[in-house]
Amino acid sequence: MNNVRPLARRLFPAAFGLAAALVLAGCAPAAPAPESGNGAGTPAAATPVAGGTLVYASGDAEPSCLDPHVGGNYPQALVSSQYLETLYTKDAAGELVPWLAQDSTVSADGLTRTVKVRGDIRFTDGTPLTAEAVKANFEHLLDPATASSTGYLALGKIKSMKALDPTTLELKLSTPDNALLESFSMPWVAIQSPAALKRSQEENCAAPVGTGPFKVESWKKQEAVNLVRNEDYKRPVADADHTGPAYLDAITWRFIPEAATRYAALQAGEVQVIDNAQPDTIAAAAKNDTIKHLDAPRPGASNRIELNSSKAPFNDPAVREAFIHAVNVDAGIDSLFFGTAPRSYSPLSSVEPLGFADKSLFDFDPAKTAKLLDAAGWSERDAEGYRVKDGTRLSLTFPVSTSQSIPAEQSLFEQLQATAKESGIEIKINLLDLSSWYGALAKNDYNLVSAPYTKVGPSVLSILFHSDSTIPAPSGYFANLSQVKDPALDKLLDEAGTISEEGKRKGLYIRAQKLVLEGHYLLPLYDQQNHFLYSSKLNNVGSTTAVASPTFFDTWLAK
Amino acid sequence: MNPGTHTQRRRTRITGAASWVLGKVLGGIFVLWAVATAIFFGIRMIPGDPAEAIMGGPGSQASAEALAAARAEYGLDEPLAVQYFTALRRLATGDLGTSYSLKNPVSEVLGELLPPTLTLAVLALLVAWVLALGLAVASTRSGRAGMALASGLEIVSAAVPHFWLASVLIMLFATALGWLPPVSTATGAGLVLPVATLALPLAGFLGQVMRDTLDAAQRSGFALSARARGESEIGVLLRHSLRHAALPGIALSGWAFGSLLSGAVVVEAIFARPGLGRSLLSAVTARDIPLVTGVALVSAAAYVLIMALSDAAEKLADPRMARA
Repeated sequence: MNNVRPLARRLFPAAFGLAAALVLAGCAPAAPAPESGNGAGTPAAATPVAGGTLVYASGDAEPSCLDPHVGGNYPQALVSSQYLETLYTKDAAGELVPWLAQDSTVSADGLTRTVKVRGDIRFTDGTPLTAEAVKANFEHLLDPATASSTGYLALGKIKSMKALDPTTLELKLSTPDNALLESFSMPWVAIQSPAALKRSQEENCAAPVGTGPFKVESWKKQEAVNLVRNEDYKRPVADADHTGPAYLDAITWRFIPEAATRYAALQAGEVQVIDNAQPDTIAAAAKNDTIKHLDAPRPGASNRIELNSSKAPFNDPAVREAFIHAVNVDAGIDSLFFGTAPRSYSPLSSVEPLGFADKSLFDFDPAKTAKLLDAAGWSERDAEGYRVKDGTRLSLTFPVSTSQSIPAEQSLFEQLQATAKESGIEIKINLLDLSSWYGALAKNDYNLVSAPYTKVGPSVLSILFHSDSTIPAPSGYFANLSQVKDPALDKLLDEAGTISEEGKRKGLYIRAQKLVLEGHYLLPLYDQQNHFLYSSKLNNVGSTTAVASPTFFDTWLAK
Repeated sequence: MNPGTHTQRRRTRITGAASWVLGKVLGGIFVLWAVATAIFFGIRMIPGDPAEAIMGGPGSQASAEALAAARAEYGLDEPLAVQYFTALRRLATGDLGTSYSLKNPVSEVLGELLPPTLTLAVLALLVAWVLALGLAVASTRSGRAGMALASGLEIVSAAVPHFWLASVLIMLFATALGWLPPVSTATGAGLVLPVATLALPLAGFLGQVMRDTLDAAQRSGFALSARARGESEIGVLLRHSLRHAALPGIALSGWAFGSLLSGAVVVEAIFARPGLGRSLLSAVTARDIPLVTGVALVSAAAYVLIMALSDAAEKLADPRMARA
């Protein structure tokens, strides 16, 4: 065996050259051939047919628990929206509407919230939906043993609760919380059978029991979650086209981590829906008339780069402003995202009705950058052309999480790095795995950072920009990554979170957004990407939950 | 020959075999201990708190109370040395612990995921052998041009990265021709592309070595004398030369098996196939220490076993080695 290794060492360099040649030669014939589209062009007005199994291929991580109370991340929201329902949801117009709830009232002081739940609903294990059942869910979420993160934060202001009668639940709050109904619309606060919640966590993680149009039949790890139709389902979701059970017999929820394989499986007809479609794939699919595209931006915050104002050089507002005018975001988005990501100029997602955008603050203007930096004392240049002040280079560290930034976004960051260099600003991009990335953030070892956050409603602004959010959780993580500590902003956010009059709330949130935009604490990029590609054999794909995960209640499969 | 010396020689051979086995077992235990130790300390040097992994990752913002409960439950509040010896004691009794991310016993997870990965690796090894030997035999019998062509093919395929090869095979056989599924389940037609992805580079590597030896053997003295005795070309090949050609292949197979296990990480992710490799990938990202340790130990054990088997096979194929 020892005599073989040197041989291998001799062979490899030559072989790599040949392989590279093959890569170049292989590109042309390997292009995907058009499909014979027998399912293409199904008329939109066709009559729905019942039956069939939809195969969904997810590129998100496989959840470690199918109960979104445990932890609480987006992969859980995607799958659990098929079998769990929430007290409230959002309709197509973005309006908050009751779902498992009937209505809700709040006391004049904002400290008592009464929720009336519907009396005609049963979980798929036969347990009736009651006020006690909802209470058991909230207790489950607030129990540290459940290890809830997103749901726990959303219900943080609930002090105590009491079922007044079978359908009325009274909640006592520590401070008024006008975002509570929005929180109730999130899948991480979905309502499950209290009988099922009494099982061990392991059992409940494997097959949570809800009220949705589908129910969990089995879960084969690393392969698929098998969902079957809930035959007793009667109530339509918001904006539904029909009543009664869903059309599809079953959904197979598969996990296919590799984007190219996911798309190949869709083209081969092995799966009918894929999520996490990449910009280049979406562009390629647009030429294929058997594949359709659903763009469903997530609510809450936009995708943005935050500027750490707690340390040099961004503790100087002029340097923050200079940076924002130094990078050419539009050019990067145009070339890398194939028109799939419209530019954002707001801290909030474009689906948030209270979002406020100001394009004028984000012009690409190197002349302005130069003027601002000269005035701020960064007037000298070093041998590599970077600006210097008191012997220190104008250099920014930018830890990037490879599991949260898709390849196109990482390329965008590289393009920003290139344009910033022309203004004499150095950006050091560190590609990190998720844990190391959180580690860098906890150590305050960053000047720039891009972190997603999904929450329904503008109250996400309090999570991201209130000075309370600069206090780290035990893990070291804090959500206010730009580290804004502005008493005026805190006051606006506190007031906006507790006020009951909708018009005033809107005004306060708009003023708060103006403060963070004009303070140059963030550089908005685009909406949080939620792109689905699906087979044209599928009809009525598009209805989504409050967090833009697809529902397949109205969906039917053409024969 | 003196019968006494004969028995003596046999006894030496038996004690020789026994000490060979004992050496392999001790060596194997040492490797497993070293792997367990390296993983135990290595994973703790990576930033991040294992208690956070238990609570769903560092971004979960778990409360201090919940983190403390998790630490106590998994013994993470003990001093590091205590944790290390507890872990070793557990491993010695075959207790691999409970996966942080899957909340299932690691032995159960491995029991589910080992068979599909082993199926993949063993099939790939077999296919690689068949391809390598087939090409070696065909090319030595087809003259100088055939040899050059085969050699070129082997060099290229040996160097092709799994990731690239898998993508090309998917584009060709799944997307363009539609013959085979691009995603693979535990068994069935979905096995073809993953096995091919692992087998082709390995076949190139094995073939390169086997063909050189085969060619030399075909031209050596014993082949000439066999032909002189009237043995047919096929007879010479089967009875004499192939045995020589197989030797370096056997020696390489142990090493190759290790590379197949690491190749499985890529292949299982691309073809969305359940298995050890894919779970290792997600376990590392999730800082799931018991699962990472379990996967590494099982892979190391499989590697040690295959190395020992290939060593033994080499001795059987070449009696000279037994005496050495």
